[in-house]
Amino acid sequence: MQITLQTIIGGVSLGAVYALVALGFSLVYRTMGLVNFAHGNVVTVGAYLASTFYLSTKLPFALAMLVAIAVTGLIGLIIERVLRPLENRDFDLMLIGTIGFGIVLDALVIMIWGATGRAVPSPVPSAPIEVLGLRIRTYDLVVLAIAAVATVLLVLFLSRTKRGAAMQAVAMDHEAATAVGIHVGRSNAIAFMIGAGLAALAGGLVGPLLYVSPALGGTLGIKGFAAAILGGFGSIPGAIAGGLAIGILDSFTAGHFQGYSELVTFLVFTVIIMVRPTGIFGERTVNRA
Amino acid sequence: MRTKIAVGAGLAVAAWLLPYGLDSYAIHVVNVILIFAVLAVGLGLCMGVAGQVNLAQVAFFGVGAYATAILTTHNGLGFWVSGALALVATVLIGLVVGTPALRVQSHYLGIVTLGLALAFTNWVTNAQLSGGAEGISAIPVPTLPGVDLSSEYLYYYLELIVFVLALAFGLFVVRTGLGRRLRAMRDDSLAAGALGAEVPLLRMTAFLLASVYGGVAGVLYAGLIRYVAPESFGIANMFLLLGMVIIGGRQSLIGCVVGAVSLYLVREWLADHPTIAQLAYGAVVVLVVVFAPTGLAGLPERLRDLLRRRRGESGTAARLAPFRPYAERAGQTSGTGTPILTVSAVTMRFRGLKALDEVSLTVAPGEIRGVVGPNGSGKTTLFNVISGLYRPTGGRVEFLGRDLTGSSPYRLARAGMSRTFQNLRLFGDLTVEENILVALDRSRTLGAWRYLLGPIAVLRQDRELHRRARDVLDRYGLTEFAALAPKSLPYGIQRRVEIARAVAAAPSLLLLDEPAAGLNGEEVRQLSEIVRSIRDSGVTVIIIEHNMGLVMSLCERITVLAGGRIIAEGEPAEVARTPAVIEAYLGDSMDSDDLPSIPEVTK
Repeated sequence: MQITLQTIIGGVSLGAVYALVALGFSLVYRTMGLVNFAHGNVVTVGAYLASTFYLSTKLPFALAMLVAIAVTGLIGLIIERVLRPLENRDFDLMLIGTIGFGIVLDALVIMIWGATGRAVPSPVPSAPIEVLGLRIRTYDLVVLAIAAVATVLLVLFLSRTKRGAAMQAVAMDHEAATAVGIHVGRSNAIAFMIGAGLAALAGGLVGPLLYVSPALGGTLGIKGFAAAILGGFGSIPGAIAGGLAIGILDSFTAGHFQGYSELVTFLVFTVIIMVRPTGIFGERTVNRA
Repeated sequence: MRTKIAVGAGLAVAAWLLPYGLDSYAIHVVNVILIFAVLAVGLGLCMGVAGQVNLAQVAFFGVGAYATAILTTHNGLGFWVSGALALVATVLIGLVVGTPALRVQSHYLGIVTLGLALAFTNWVTNAQLSGGAEGISAIPVPTLPGVDLSSEYLYYYLELIVFVLALAFGLFVVRTGLGRRLRAMRDDSLAAGALGAEVPLLRMTAFLLASVYGGVAGVLYAGLIRYVAPESFGIANMFLLLGMVIIGGRQSLIGCVVGAVSLYLVREWLADHPTIAQLAYGAVVVLVVVFAPTGLAGLPERLRDLLRRRRGESGTAARLAPFRPYAERAGQTSGTGTPILTVSAVTMRFRGLKALDEVSLTVAPGEIRGVVGPNGSGKTTLFNVISGLYRPTGGRVEFLGRDLTGSSPYRLARAGMSRTFQNLRLFGDLTVEENILVALDRSRTLGAWRYLLGPIAVLRQDRELHRRARDVLDRYGLTEFAALAPKSLPYGIQRRVEIARAVAAAPSLLLLDEPAAGLNGEEVRQLSEIVRSIRDSGVTVIIIEHNMGLVMSLCERITVLAGGRIIAEGEPAEVARTPAVIEAYLGDSMDSDDLPSIPEVTK
């Protein structure tokens, strides 16, 4: 029991990161019906930016993160702008377009930061605290707190602001949204920007947990996607639940299958998609694939 | 034709002489390029022709290469035996990877296949059997009596032969029945199903083809490099391969080959700066999807279009010829005999909404039945239930005396049901003639083995289909439009093409969903003549229509739906007097009843 609980706790912080990645995927998907295959690469860029500002310019961790979010937000805007001519026309082509952007970002990361990775020290004291005999790293708590705050802010934005409501409208019916005067392109651009910002947040947070390398985003991207699917693509509570579930699954498979943990995770994910493509909280109305 | 033969002969001679002008490194590059070309053709078949997003092509390649390596080094089998077994293994894996396509499409399929490809790399990097990260070296040289295949110059000829066969087979598939059905499914899987294309089997066929090409490439690779390691089959090469197919033009196999050759050459040229090469081809992929979605293969066509527009030439001056009625079938009396269609107490619920409420109706053979009702009364939903697009929540649908409730659309189509759609669902990237050919072709997907064992028979059958298609086009006055894309035609002609296509499937029951929508008065008159002639040739017709003039003059019996219930049924004049009908028609008609596009995922 103790070991199981410890495994779960070990998975939760990575799970929170997956949830942030999944939120980015879901937000873009529910707004424009597109899976952004460059999302994982944006995570990598975010991780490198945050760690660069944190390590070399000695900015405080939080500030470094904000700079990273701003820069990747810009990248998101660029991706959306370039692919806009394809919106609502050919999703397969758009999907390939985002893969193209992923290839470009991957090359840029290697050009700027090199092919080797870097370790990022934890910004908070690393001694774990003990609660009821369970060891919890303080940094895990930081990750959880930030992820929770980001989610709450996102939900408030979507439900309480005019811009957010407009995005919800586009998600439900882009033609009707156009008819009542909503600028669909701008709404999509904001979704992409926020999605990229969430990716940077995830990348920045994961830096001290994992080794930052060009391959980081690939794994995080696909696990984040698995999380989004598991929860129900396009659903915000689904992304959170899915992220935590994948994190915990990861932690278990790493313990039981060592090197094969990725294999097991992907197989489980494939089976889930076959059995229930709409996920746990799937909202059929937003499913457009 | 003559220029094509000349170009082909020129290419053959050039390919034959190529090794004489190359040093040993260059021939190695050429050999690798040929392998990528085979892979690209396979990916093009799956993604471009059949529209199945497949990001696991590089894993198929890996399975073929690894299986050959393992069987030769661990089990001591000969190279060719191992190669054959490796091909079988690849096909099995291909079918496994393809199964998700039965449930999900597009993005979901992309991510699942990508995930499975990553799972494969994860396995080979960790497993003892595959030599872990070091891979497997010392794969024996393939033996061929009298030929020393350890020479890359001679290996080139082996690869060349395999490549030419692979490409020729691919083109053969694309240009005959199977390829047409695959392309039809890509353009509109719903309409393809309604015409009898076995969509699930076709999707598996796409993955089968992709895996065969991947496996062949893998075996060739194992014989050429004689060393396999995980990084050759990783995600980077998958995206490179994707770049080749997209840049070359995914819908054209020749384009895929051109893309493979050019992209690999550019990469080789930038071999000292691999990241710059990656940056460049990533950027080109983005530019291609936005500005030239048909890739390099589509460029000549676009240039020609541009030139034509420069010269101020407008579109073709093709004219619609009059419809030539069918020969009347003698002894047909309408409204008698056992019913062809019996719908009993069908209920269809969409979550809270009851679109159909205990609807029952019977249609006698040889009848023209009208289904009318205000917008949103459930007419199209009824059609969708009858034609198998929806599985009703309750009730039964009997067709030709058989209970076919909830059968898949292609089974119903093969049983003799055909339909048109309210919002026109023609296959956009097929020509008008090919649209008809898809409907005429009743061969089963399982019969595709004939592509390997009896290609002559396939060709003969295809020629026969073309002849019948010309007949159909001529009858409907569409001959001059045969080679045009449906999208380029006026709306009224597109409607006629769709009817011709539905009838070409030789149905015993034809469902027409608002065939007169958007037609002018003259076109409506022609439509009425066409429908009557179709019925006289022995086909039962059910027609949904808002044009009351047409319905009143054409139909023998009319069924009136309102709010998902049948409120009246009988002869036109009698129905028009029913108070309930008058009330329903004077009520509001604010709702729209577009044909619901059912998302793949929720099916």
